[in-house]
Amino acid sequence: MKWCIAAVVALFAATTATAHQWTPTYPKFENSFVEGVVVTTMKLFNRREDVRFYEINVYDEEWNPIRFATATKVVEMNYLEQKDIEIYVLESDCDQIEYICTVSKLLLDDTDNGINSRICSKV
Amino acid sequence: MFRVISAVALFVAAPAFAETIPITGNVASTCSIYTDTSGVYGVPSPDELSTIPADGGIHPVVRYDVTIADYYVAKISWPNQFSTSPSLTDAVNWDGETSVSQTSSAAQADYETNKVEYENVTEFDLTVAGSVWFEVESTVTYGYEKSFPGGTYAANITAECIAT
Repeated sequence: MKWCIAAVVALFAATTATAHQWTPTYPKFENSFVEGVVVTTMKLFNRREDVRFYEINVYDEEWNPIRFATATKVVEMNYLEQKDIEIYVLESDCDQIEYICTVSKLLLDDTDNGINSRICSKV
Repeated sequence: MFRVISAVALFVAAPAFAETIPITGNVASTCSIYTDTSGVYGVPSPDELSTIPADGGIHPVVRYDVTIADYYVAKISWPNQFSTSPSLTDAVNWDGETSVSQTSSAAQADYETNKVEYENVTEFDLTVAGSVWFEVESTVTYGYEKSFPGGTYAANITAECIAT
């Protein structure tokens, strides 16, 4: 019995994986409460136990950054936490937007596993 | 007797009502990046660090899950700089390779042959829904057969999932 439990524990330990998720894939902007400003809501889900911060960026087709506003550009996320993030851009910039991305921020110490993850949705 | 006949007639005459109860669902496209295995550099010789198992290293493994085919491209970069290292005064030479290590579907067998490589980046078109595991090989040499200074070395790979 002890051997059986040990084998099962070892199996789970060996297959532990952590994930980063950013949806929707194709967000749509709509009018916000401010005239001339549009907004979309994205969902960030942190299943990476080694990551506590994610950075948000907005790009055009050539990966040039585009101005945007959120509550915070670097989002602090607990493990298994999901957050709705509102992203505001000028209506005049809306046609140029191609990608809305999140990238994991790793700490310069031994707590991360050396894998940066970045997910980009396409507008 | 009349009451009995009336009651029977009531049941016979009663129309059959049918309600349709809808079942709805929504399958949204998502891409999840799983950090499956952390990499470890082995030191096969004083001037080389390598994640190759024969050199004492461990390849980092990243898993991608996509729920719908043809919505995402995976871009994986092997490292070209240390995130942590002692002070290095000579040239550091980086090399690497990203390859498919495991798939959830036989239809993903083309991923390896169709991959596109440039600089330190490898692109895979995720044309099949399901999971795929990528392993990243990284080797680093220092100067011309020069020993790495003692200390801790760390480098990061980047795994990207870009909607197309």
